[in-house]
Amino acid sequence: MTSAWTPRSAWAGFARAGRHGRPQGEPGVRLTLRDGVGLATVIAADGQEDALGRILADRFGWSLPGSGAATLVGERGLVWSAPGQWLAVAEARAGLQGLAEALRGVAAVTDQSDARAIVRVSGPRARGLLSKGVAVDLHPRAFAAGQAAVTSIAHIGAQIWQRDEAPTYDLAVARSFAGSFWSWLSHAAAEFGYEVDREAEH
Amino acid sequence: MRIRCPYCGERDNGEFSYLGDAAPRRPDGLEAQASAMHDYVYLRDNPAGEHRELWYHGAGCRSWLVVTRDTRTHTISDVSPARDVARSRRPGEAA
Ligand SMILES: [Zn+2]
Repeated sequence: MTSAWTPRSAWAGFARAGRHGRPQGEPGVRLTLRDGVGLATVIAADGQEDALGRILADRFGWSLPGSGAATLVGERGLVWSAPGQWLAVAEARAGLQGLAEALRGVAAVTDQSDARAIVRVSGPRARGLLSKGVAVDLHPRAFAAGQAAVTSIAHIGAQIWQRDEAPTYDLAVARSFAGSFWSWLSHAAAEFGYEVDREAEH
Repeated sequence: MRIRCPYCGERDNGEFSYLGDAAPRRPDGLEAQASAMHDYVYLRDNPAGEHRELWYHGAGCRSWLVVTRDTRTHTISDVSPARDVARSRRPGEAA
């Protein structure tokens, strides 16, 4: 049976592929729309954090990151969200299959794949761009690859994690805020010139 | 003013919500005198100096915190997870 429902990018109607903002020179910022990412919140049951860590290591090869950290290998792993709470990330929803069953009794697992809009921010001016909206010190001395923060950008709750020293950041906001968030992001990036990698899927 | 969240590090106070005095403890509702309940619900000290108060890190880790702040200078001398403070008050349970 075919379905009348088709997946729609969280950024559809807001992000446009191509070069925007300052037209001269190389783009300072590259924005990669990340659709179809698998996401789930993992919340440890009281006193079960050690057991949770062991199961995740044995079954998925993941290590539980501490406060303000992310442990990602490629596109998979965990981002710290709050005490006893993490965001599990995989390249696609199927990548988190079996997680809830494996963690039964030690953690609550809730699929968030359709609940967040994620954009990857890179390019030579990525840090300068985010510094305009993030009230967290992003200087490499204070915030480096493997670090994560839950904060707000333009009054919109955002989770941010740094992937590498380039630097490359992933930003997640609630999907219903994607339009408002894109409005801030695109205006803030305009002065550097920015490129959106591809059209958002409608 | 910035608050150093024990989990998130130093953050702008706009990320937090203020609840108030951390000292009042709810009397047992069925046993308490009306006067004790009235005191718990309505009466607060207003010290010029050190004050222990509850803040919620709503834009960050969503934790309740007990912040010790000097009301004259806004100098913060301690921030602890409210959960640890509550546990340390319970007999037989360490923070
Ligand atoms: Zn916090």
